[in-house]
Amino acid sequence: MDEPMQVYSVSDFQAVCNQIMETAFSGVIVEGEVASFKVNQGKFVFFDLKDEQSSVGCFMMKFALRFPLEDGMKIRVRAVPKLTNWGKFSLTVQAIMPVGEGSLKKSFELLKKKLTEEGLFAPEKKRPLPEPITKIGVISSTQAAGYADFCKILNERWGGLEVQVAHTQVQGMTAADQIIKALAYFNERSEVQVIALIRGGGSADDLAVFNDEALVRAIAASKIPVITGIGHEVDESLCDLAADVVASTPSNAAQMLTRDRRETIAGMRDDVKRINNLFNTKVDELLRINRDEIARVGHDIVVKITTVENEIAAQCKILEQLNPDKVLERGYALMRGDTKVGSVVEITTFKQEIEAKVTKVKER
Amino acid sequence: MAKNVSEKISELKTGVDWFYSDDFKLEEASDRYKALTNLAKEIEKDLAEMKNEINVIAEDFSK
Repeated sequence: MDEPMQVYSVSDFQAVCNQIMETAFSGVIVEGEVASFKVNQGKFVFFDLKDEQSSVGCFMMKFALRFPLEDGMKIRVRAVPKLTNWGKFSLTVQAIMPVGEGSLKKSFELLKKKLTEEGLFAPEKKRPLPEPITKIGVISSTQAAGYADFCKILNERWGGLEVQVAHTQVQGMTAADQIIKALAYFNERSEVQVIALIRGGGSADDLAVFNDEALVRAIAASKIPVITGIGHEVDESLCDLAADVVASTPSNAAQMLTRDRRETIAGMRDDVKRINNLFNTKVDELLRINRDEIARVGHDIVVKITTVENEIAAQCKILEQLNPDKVLERGYALMRGDTKVGSVVEITTFKQEIEAKVTKVKER
Repeated sequence: MAKNVSEKISELKTGVDWFYSDDFKLEEASDRYKALTNLAKEIEKDLAEMKNEINVIAEDFSK
């Protein structure tokens, strides 16, 4: 005889169904295209997720909607399946992520416009990197190639840094929340001077997490300056726009955070060489000044001696002109004695001494 | 307390700047130059020996 079958009330049946689905799909990821997107009362989000054959209703809270949605966008949802009290099957969505180039681009542009209008990316909000940097917080997957590149360049360029690494997922639907927690971790402790968010290259889908609204807002709100080094040079994410400093790659982030010890050593050697040259130049200059001074003093002395010599020569010339012999030489005679008739006078000429008797005196 | 390499580099820069300043005195220059040369060698040694300390935080951010 058949076992009697369990009889359920409708509510019990619905509860059991939900229990079974929860056990079977504690978290399921479903990909499809958005249709009939709407927000009720500003907080409840409803949309259908469909493909070519099927469609399933989705529900989520608006605060969990971290990428802008529009009908036609292709997305991936992490959700729990549920049978509602009205017997309708739906997905209770915990997280979404756009997929495919078109959806990612659309979502990026919509969110960029919204956050730009809020001033989240304003240039005046950007802070420079501190100087010198000795303590760095890194958020990355320690298994990622980008992280290895970052550490390699960091170690090559500089030393003595204290680096704390928060290991998180850097792609996938849980990555944004993990990175947000890591940002909060560093900000709560305030032990590092700068936070580096690092992730190597990848497809647009891989990098989609860096356009997550909550993550972008967490970066913009960080008390500690944030530098991003995400993807390759051509990749631009909203996290880049919100960060204080943007590096083109993880390696470039390591370069921007550190001095290069080889350049520093070369610079120091140049400095020491330059001041040695400067020192020698200054000594040479002082020697030249001394030589010039000595030459100038010597010249001044010669000029003064010449002047005195010239003055003496001039005086001598005057004296020479006053010499009575010079007058006698010109034919004059000097007469001494009484100029009375019969007196004897002495007459001196240039060549002779004469005595003469006065025989006649007459007034001129 | 021993100076770290950044402080030493800063001291070197200040020392170099003195040579270009109005405070320059020839009678002090030789001693200062010798001191800076020694400081530069010390910094080179420090830079060659310095290693970074990279620690992965134990916290599990996936929870």
